[in-house]
Amino acid sequence: MDDSTKRILQRLIRRIPYQMLQKMLGKWAHLSNEDLHSLDFTQPKWVLTEHLLAFCEEKGLTVKHITELEMIYIIENPNQGMWHGFQLLDAEEEAPSIELTQFKEQFKANLTELIRHVSIKIKKHTDEAIWIRVAWGDNFTKPNHLKPTYVVHHLQTPYVFVTGLTSKYKPLLNQALVLATRYGSMKDAHLSGRNLIAIRDLLTRQYQQVFPTKHPKPLQEKNPVPRNPNIENEQAENTENRLQMACEAFGDGTLPQLQKAVYKLETKFRDNSNKTLTGREEPFRGVVEFASTNLLESLRHCVSSGMASTPVTPLLSSITQKGRNYFVITDKGV
Amino acid sequence: MSLLKPFSKLPGLNTANILLVENEEQFQQKLADTVVLQEKTVNVNVRLARSLPLPMENEESRPRIDLVVFIIHLTSELSFQSAETSLKYLDPGYFQGKVCFLVTSARNVSVPPERLVSVRTLAASLHCPLLCAEDQTTEGVTTAARRLLAILKVAAGLVPMATGLYLSTLTRCTVPSDIDQQNFE
Repeated sequence: MDDSTKRILQRLIRRIPYQMLQKMLGKWAHLSNEDLHSLDFTQPKWVLTEHLLAFCEEKGLTVKHITELEMIYIIENPNQGMWHGFQLLDAEEEAPSIELTQFKEQFKANLTELIRHVSIKIKKHTDEAIWIRVAWGDNFTKPNHLKPTYVVHHLQTPYVFVTGLTSKYKPLLNQALVLATRYGSMKDAHLSGRNLIAIRDLLTRQYQQVFPTKHPKPLQEKNPVPRNPNIENEQAENTENRLQMACEAFGDGTLPQLQKAVYKLETKFRDNSNKTLTGREEPFRGVVEFASTNLLESLRHCVSSGMASTPVTPLLSSITQKGRNYFVITDKGV
Repeated sequence: MSLLKPFSKLPGLNTANILLVENEEQFQQKLADTVVLQEKTVNVNVRLARSLPLPMENEESRPRIDLVVFIIHLTSELSFQSAETSLKYLDPGYFQGKVCFLVTSARNVSVPPERLVSVRTLAASLHCPLLCAEDQTTEGVTTAARRLLAILKVAAGLVPMATGLYLSTLTRCTVPSDIDQQNFE
């Protein structure tokens, strides 16, 4: 095993937290059960790394096998780094639905045509998602395994999620994906977040949606909490209305975890008290950013508690309705 | 303008009604539960609202309100502004001992001190008492509930020889004016 391979393995073991290490190694096909039992997981991590290096040398494992371990770890813990959502457009009308082997072949063929030195690994996860790991190299250099790109795609949906992609290789990945999935083009869905499942749920609308109804009162079957008859809320209807509008705009129950919403303003400055800035021809550029650990939850609370005025402004509700969190606002609209 | 009037309805026997007005609608629920539990001898009804004016639909069923309490959270400017705008919808008859201000987070370091000063000036100009409450612990809530009950019973006329107006001259908030401060020098 050469130095770079050793370094990759060392970095990987350092990255995996100690508690998960045993589980990950168990899933890795290249360590037999006896090997696994012989490893003592109470030792400090650097001792364990030495043992593992020795094992790998014995078995003659290469970078290919180590990247499998990395992929196992990332699939179990996808919430590292920023995931970006993309949408495939213009499906070919007569294309039959793509199946896995066809996609694999096409993707590998396309990408290796575009760039010679590239390392691709494709794996199908239990929930019907295809995970692709790509390590990029040049025409002259070997693939860089320290900065791989991960792509997640559900075959029957037009959505693709990518992390770790630099703008240099973006057009290449786009082209390979578009050709392999038989669509016309791929565009940025303007949705990004740290939590993969959250942005997937947001794009595919898999959170609990609330639809406007004429009679918003819920069914009386559930036993209501016994209210003290001496306490009465004067404006209960208002509170219920606000809650209903908040849930209509953002959804009910647990919401997908988004961290940011960015609004880039390219509108003209309009404030009658400030004469120097108003009335200029060029737009006043500004960026408004909302950040939170769970942005949709905070926005829903703002609306239901009355901090944000109802009806919910379409600027905020388009986060869920359109499934994006990056907006450019011009004078003509979003 | 639909003003809330203090004497337009008949009082109930051995009953006192209190209205808690709070923009955030959080502390009022805890306070209401405690107030109702604390009082054993008098029948206390608590009405909760976010701001005044109160909806017209409840006009018929609403009993005579004996005490209006404005709960202001000093951590939010909106809380104070909402209370100020709600004041306009009270009949002036209420300001003779039937209005009280309850302030939370007065000891909080991150609260700008000007806000407490403006609440105090407001309470002083209206001749109303200003209570400070601690809303995070049960003892704080219980204490606030007991103090409110004491004022409520007087305002509802259930304490012999005491009226709301009489009590308010003793408990009303005062702001040390500039003249007093000069005297100290």
